[in-house]
Amino acid sequence: MRQLKIGPSGIRGVVGDGLTPELLVDFACAFGTWCDGGSIVIGHDSRRSSPMAHSAVLSGLLATGVEVVDLGLSPTPLISFAVRELGAAGGISISGSHNDARWNALKFLGPDGAHLNAVKSEELLDTFHARDFARAPWEKIRKAVPASGIEDRYIECLLAWLDADAIRSRRFRIVVDLCNGACAGVTRRLLDALRCEMVPLNLEATGEFAHPPAPNPANMRQLATLIQPLEVDLGVALNVDGDRAGFVTAGGEPLSEEFTLPLAARARMRRRPGPIVTSLSTSRMVEGVAREAGQQVMRTNVGEGHVMDRGLTEEASIAGEGSGGVAILPNSMTYDALLTLGVILEWLAVNDQSLKSATQELPSYTMRKGEIPCTPDAVHRVLERFRRAYEGRGAQLEDGVRLEWDDAWIHVRASNTEPILRVIAEAEAPERADELYQEAMGFARRTIHLHSD
Amino acid sequence: MARRLSLKISVAGVRGIVGESLTPQLVTSYAAAFGTYCGAGPVLIGSDTRPSREMVKHAAIAGLLSVGCTPVDVGIVPVPALQFHVRKTGAFGAICISASHNPIEWNALKFIGPDGIVLRPNQSEELTDLYHQGFYPRVTAAEIAETRLDHTVLSAHREAVIALIDAEHVRRRGFRIVADCTNGAASLAMPEFLRALGCEVIELNTDMDEPFPRNPEPLPENIGGLCTLVRESGADMGIALDADADRLALVNELGEPLGEDCTIALAARHYLKRRKSPIVVNVSTSRIVDDVAAEQGCAVYRTRVGEIHVVKKMIEVGAEIGGEHNGGVILREVNPCRDSFVGMALLLESLAEEGRTLSELRGLLPHYATVKAKVECLPREVAPYLRALQQLFAGEQMDTTDGLTVLWPDRWLQARPSNTEPVLRITAEAPTEHEAEVLVREALDCIKPTL
Repeated sequence: MRQLKIGPSGIRGVVGDGLTPELLVDFACAFGTWCDGGSIVIGHDSRRSSPMAHSAVLSGLLATGVEVVDLGLSPTPLISFAVRELGAAGGISISGSHNDARWNALKFLGPDGAHLNAVKSEELLDTFHARDFARAPWEKIRKAVPASGIEDRYIECLLAWLDADAIRSRRFRIVVDLCNGACAGVTRRLLDALRCEMVPLNLEATGEFAHPPAPNPANMRQLATLIQPLEVDLGVALNVDGDRAGFVTAGGEPLSEEFTLPLAARARMRRRPGPIVTSLSTSRMVEGVAREAGQQVMRTNVGEGHVMDRGLTEEASIAGEGSGGVAILPNSMTYDALLTLGVILEWLAVNDQSLKSATQELPSYTMRKGEIPCTPDAVHRVLERFRRAYEGRGAQLEDGVRLEWDDAWIHVRASNTEPILRVIAEAEAPERADELYQEAMGFARRTIHLHSD
Repeated sequence: MARRLSLKISVAGVRGIVGESLTPQLVTSYAAAFGTYCGAGPVLIGSDTRPSREMVKHAAIAGLLSVGCTPVDVGIVPVPALQFHVRKTGAFGAICISASHNPIEWNALKFIGPDGIVLRPNQSEELTDLYHQGFYPRVTAAEIAETRLDHTVLSAHREAVIALIDAEHVRRRGFRIVADCTNGAASLAMPEFLRALGCEVIELNTDMDEPFPRNPEPLPENIGGLCTLVRESGADMGIALDADADRLALVNELGEPLGEDCTIALAARHYLKRRKSPIVVNVSTSRIVDDVAAEQGCAVYRTRVGEIHVVKKMIEVGAEIGGEHNGGVILREVNPCRDSFVGMALLLESLAEEGRTLSELRGLLPHYATVKAKVECLPREVAPYLRALQQLFAGEQMDTTDGLTVLWPDRWLQARPSNTEPVLRITAEAPTEHEAEVLVREALDCIKPTL
């Protein structure tokens, strides 16, 4: 089965028969055509397949006559920053993000540096399907140019957006797991400027990842073992392109990636109170944070495009998801793990707290997350059975099936990026979460089984 | 904008106009097909200086990587140096990004096999089949290779060519030469090469960041600037190349262009004196070559136009030297392809040995007048045009190796479709300009009513 997903979050697939250079060239031509002149900023993560995708994208863009600003190996938030800073017409980040090394993807950024919203994504998809791409004659074909000094400017801005002096005074010692990704240089520079001592883990962009890139407790095991022996204040894991972060306490306890948003949101409510936007699949912890600050939580369908679009229209002060992806608004236009780290450090410094005690001040819930592989052709039919089964039980059906009670909720949906069904349950009481989770998983398994018969 | 029918897939490779037919999609797929054809190993990529080169190069790199090849980016290099490097490094093949003598809006992929020779017609067909089938065995992310860089192409090739001749002898002459590189792939290589042979080099059009200042085909009408500079600078000669440096045209010390036909004749005259060998040229090459070969008692073989046809015949008949009417000189002991550097080396050695000027050397060869014309011609129009000419000259001796050649004892007339553009080339060679012109005029008058 070809593993390929073309949709509102761009194009994503398993390199080989799924994600081919021809498709990447076509998408780059579509994006160059859609941008209609101006310059486009591109960059890529450290995957083995990323230079291939980079060449395909560069070629496709150049053929449409746009100017290409090539950042080379760089995190997605830096590409987003460069789009705004240079007044570019758009950006492409070549990164499979949290997916494992077999995958790669293109993330398309608009002139505001944010992921394309639903309307713009549709326009891009229409351009792709129509295949009537702009084709520049030879004298209009430009060369890729580097962006000198953009990283300096990014670091300057990050420092200006934070209470850098407060962070400096704490002299944090941090183990950073870079997952052999694109963030090593920028992270080092930021933490140096914040007078943090950084102990790097999986620093080098070798093209291989020491562990799967999603910053969840299972993938932070290696990081967690180093925390106590090194006697550091905390550990942080970044995903390959720097849009997600997960944390480990000084005691070596890896925190669920669900904690990243509420920890940052609490800090944000102190500096700039405002609405919090998150997805239907994210923990209720943020509701507690919002209540404390007298603010509102708004929920959208899962995916950065949806969450950010709502965050911008609602003029939220923070937007993010339970995946560990968080955007500090209006500073970042994409999820930005570095600014998120900075904001959380700032909270710990200002309140003279440990990470552990900061998490203990958040409302306590138990969450169960799981996924069931489901072939791409079956995903949507299985989901439809689910919708029918839960119809009339007050379910929200706009993104899979979501049921809510005072003390708990459950969400079953198709992944935007992989052929799997995701099941997430959260409750105040652990038994209740287990019960809801088991029930949904059982139903999902039986339905998939039925379908495969 | 109306798109012209500019795509040309032939033995010369895949050629098209940027913004019309030579799209990154086409290049990526063709590179994936070529990578499949070569196998998962190193494949060299070199280019000339056209502004579209980056776009084309990255499309080719992506296609090669996707099927497991290791692209080796050798930068801007003359095509003969690239072909030389394939054998030297044991690469699985090479892609040359250059539309050679075509105007700047064109670009092309030229495919070179592991033997350093452009794909033979049957190989070319196999590649085209792969492309049309559209199925390339892609590798997974874990098997994708890294692109490598190699900057040793120019020096390796230069040393090999210079080793061919008595370089000391040439250096002692201290030639003063105007080098017109049309801002092309040899802009760096040719001045370096000539300086290594002790020449004083006056560079003309050697800025690789600028577009071609002239039509890159080194025809007499395109190299007026070179002729003037030779006269004004009192140089011993002028040398003009095309964009990828496989064709060589000469200007004598009086600033007169010798015509591209003379290049292979002068090179052959010098080489055959030293080493007896059959010589292979295409059907469009001047009869001067027959006279030169006869003088040395060597046989002449003729083939269709196109480097690969000449090279194939050379291998078949064991010829050491070959060439084409367009300024291409091939010497198998260096490189089984047209190599302007080989041409330069033989010429300079010849001048040094004989102690003559270029006009004197040219004076030793017989004179024929050549007249050429080009008629725009779609692929489907070729056959009717040629039929009309066949009827017109019915009863005369004819050769259909390539297009149609009508032969008389002291002159010939030829009409053949170009391998690279949708045109029909009409050429006549006769004792006088007027006689050649009459033949061309007759051919054109015959075709025109059919237009």
